[in-house]
Amino acid sequence: MLDEEARKETDLMLSTENVGKEFNGVWVLKDIHFQLKKGEIHALVGENGAGKSTFIKILSGVYKPSAGSVFLEGEPVDFHSVTDSEALGIRTVHQEVNLVPYFKVYENIFIGAERKKRIGGMSIVDTKRMKKEATKVIKDLGIDFNVSSPTLLLNASMKRIVEISKVLVHNPRIVIFDEPTTSLGEEERKNLLQIIKGLKDRGLTIMYISHNLEEVMEIADRITVFRDGNQVGTMEKSEATTGKIISMMIGHDNYKHYCRTDKYYCEDVYLSIKNLTTEKLKAVNLNICKGEMVGIAGVVGAGKTEIAKAVFGLDKIESGSIEVMGKPYIPSPENAIRHKIALVPEERQAEGLVPNYCVSKNISLTYLDKYANRAGLINRILEIETAQAYIDKMGIKCTGPLQTIKFLSGGNQQKAILSRWLNGDFDIGIFDEPTKGIDVKAKEDIYGFLEELAQQGKAVVVLSSYLPELMSLCDRIIVVRDGRVIGEYSPQQPNAEEKIMHAMLGGGA
Amino acid sequence: MEKSTLANKNLRIEFMRKYGTVLGAMLIFTIFAVVSENFFTLNNQLMLLRQMSMLTIIALGFTFVMGAGGFDMSIGNTAGLINIVFAMVLIGTKNFWLALGASIACGALVGLVNGTIVAYIGLPDFIATFAIGSIVYGLKMLITRGNPIFFPADIPKIASFIGQGYVGKIPFPVILMIFFVVLVIFVLTKTTLGRRIYAIGGNPVASLYAGINVKRYRLITFVISGVSVAIAAVILTSRLGSAQPLAGEEFLLDAIAVCFLSTTMFGDGEPTGSGTFVGAFIISMLNNGLTMLNVPYYFQYITKGVVVIFAVVISVVLAKKLKLKL
Repeated sequence: MLDEEARKETDLMLSTENVGKEFNGVWVLKDIHFQLKKGEIHALVGENGAGKSTFIKILSGVYKPSAGSVFLEGEPVDFHSVTDSEALGIRTVHQEVNLVPYFKVYENIFIGAERKKRIGGMSIVDTKRMKKEATKVIKDLGIDFNVSSPTLLLNASMKRIVEISKVLVHNPRIVIFDEPTTSLGEEERKNLLQIIKGLKDRGLTIMYISHNLEEVMEIADRITVFRDGNQVGTMEKSEATTGKIISMMIGHDNYKHYCRTDKYYCEDVYLSIKNLTTEKLKAVNLNICKGEMVGIAGVVGAGKTEIAKAVFGLDKIESGSIEVMGKPYIPSPENAIRHKIALVPEERQAEGLVPNYCVSKNISLTYLDKYANRAGLINRILEIETAQAYIDKMGIKCTGPLQTIKFLSGGNQQKAILSRWLNGDFDIGIFDEPTKGIDVKAKEDIYGFLEELAQQGKAVVVLSSYLPELMSLCDRIIVVRDGRVIGEYSPQQPNAEEKIMHAMLGGGA
Repeated sequence: MEKSTLANKNLRIEFMRKYGTVLGAMLIFTIFAVVSENFFTLNNQLMLLRQMSMLTIIALGFTFVMGAGGFDMSIGNTAGLINIVFAMVLIGTKNFWLALGASIACGALVGLVNGTIVAYIGLPDFIATFAIGSIVYGLKMLITRGNPIFFPADIPKIASFIGQGYVGKIPFPVILMIFFVVLVIFVLTKTTLGRRIYAIGGNPVASLYAGINVKRYRLITFVISGVSVAIAAVILTSRLGSAQPLAGEEFLLDAIAVCFLSTTMFGDGEPTGSGTFVGAFIISMLNNGLTMLNVPYYFQYITKGVVVIFAVVISVVLAKKLKLKL
């Protein structure tokens, strides 16, 4: 640990000591000693759930750390909000583009920070000054562009530039880029990397978060790897190789706690996806058989969830088809249930729970007709008894079937949502990030249930960006990237993890 | 010790959140009973119940819409249109049941249009139902030029009985009201329809993922709202003995007030059948009691507004307090 003097004397722009964050008793980030040198591009890599976003949110003032301190140029800082961190010159370029489409470019750049002038007693927007400043900021990026054009007409790459300009007009000292090349083409990616390098040459300090190791290797001066909320290491670019980073990201001792024992051979295809194309997916082909556990691996935004949504009829299908047991199937939630397809969605809060309903009402929701007579009268006693049976079976910690579900922990909520589907009699279950944000014990339990389902002869499809769980659970792993199926792997094949990780990240090794 | 006092405090807050509005209503009731000598008499109480019956029935329909997270701005104008439809069919055919059927069909149709535009086309409910309300207003004015339609002497007896009749001492609309209150409480709490409607109100996306046909159920809530308006309008027309194109417009604001009051009672922030009944009683009691006290009508509006805001704010504040404690 550095004492105060040392901290001030070094060339550190920002550092953290012992920073950690816990949510509901789960530490998602532990003991982070991160050091950001003045004028460097420092890449932060790690799998999903490794703690990158949480860390960024601490640095930008969204979260307060549960432990440890953050120092800016040696001075301890205590951010209460994003405004605090922005006032000290820390700005983030977010992964998502957040522009008002019908604003002009300069209006978007100055959104919330409009330049003003006084005329008489009134303060009015200074359009001329904003245009001038916006033009300069964009020109400094090496781009010649009319800032009065409507944002609506910009392509993805230009929108990204506008997002960056939005940050630069505030003259930040530290810019955090969160996956800035998402949804950009190859050429546009290269240009953007050049622009970021240019910012470094102007003396800005940059943090760069990316899944794409190729980019990281090209742009970063130093690389820090997070895994499971821990800082695994920081290295100079010269010491780093893609292989080394990947093995640091994967780790080798932390995930063997669950391992599927049964071998499985596919006999009859249950669900068949043919050349499926939606807004996000490009000609996806998939066959899922009864009794197998299939992993679909991919980084966030790779198209995993979109496959599930297409099967459930929640995304529009542009072309291609889906068949269930060789017969054409028209996707819709109701039809999916009729065809015995279950979907446990990724966003438990937004897509899973009815928060004000008690545990029993949440469990019975999908197959409610099972509890009702023809007139639709619900047999509440049967409903509560069934819920109690699931509470016992799944080990859901709650005061009983009548407890409101929003007061349960994430893992217990997830178990209740799983019960909702177990309650019916599905043949194929699609589980989208089933262990996202839940504690270790609940994860183990859920792996157990998934395995049990496969043993009962159901097809279990696990969508995950967390490779270790797929490695230990699945019979085969299908990798998707940018809406395409990249390949299929067996977890048993030699160096499977490295190969799959390469396929997921798309970096040349 | 520490823990049990906290638990006790939570119970008290929970009690106040769920029953505070009822207690407040009882307080207002007592004040009226003490201050006005005509308020707490059997005749006036029966009159109050008869006055509130139409509002209650409309608000019960609105409860379905709001329970599913929606809003229906068209109810006031629709009531006026159905007044006319009922009277015209009744006068034309001299058949009460035909007139009732036509009224219900008309209410259901308006609900169907509302529901289709909101649930299937995807317009915001506030705007869509407001616009439909405007169209309905125009239609009824087009039909009547704003003039009332009076019943001739030879209409079937039952047509006046609906709104004016008594069973023993009890006005018939009150019996209808009690029937619908019980029916709605039953449907909303005991059946799959009610369960799914509240699920949609609680989390529409999760409901979709759980396989509920969210669009269809939202459409159904608007149809129920339209039908309940039709029933209330038939009672109203029967009571007045004439179809007034503008009668029933005040139902919109009152029903909204009732349903917001309803959200403050018994449940977790969703309107309930029983809450709506009590809410309708509160609003009607204010109307009645203030009239008894010769308070000018404009003060009645002010009072109603204040009461609704007060109840909703208190309930929200208490809910927040409870959340912090848990």
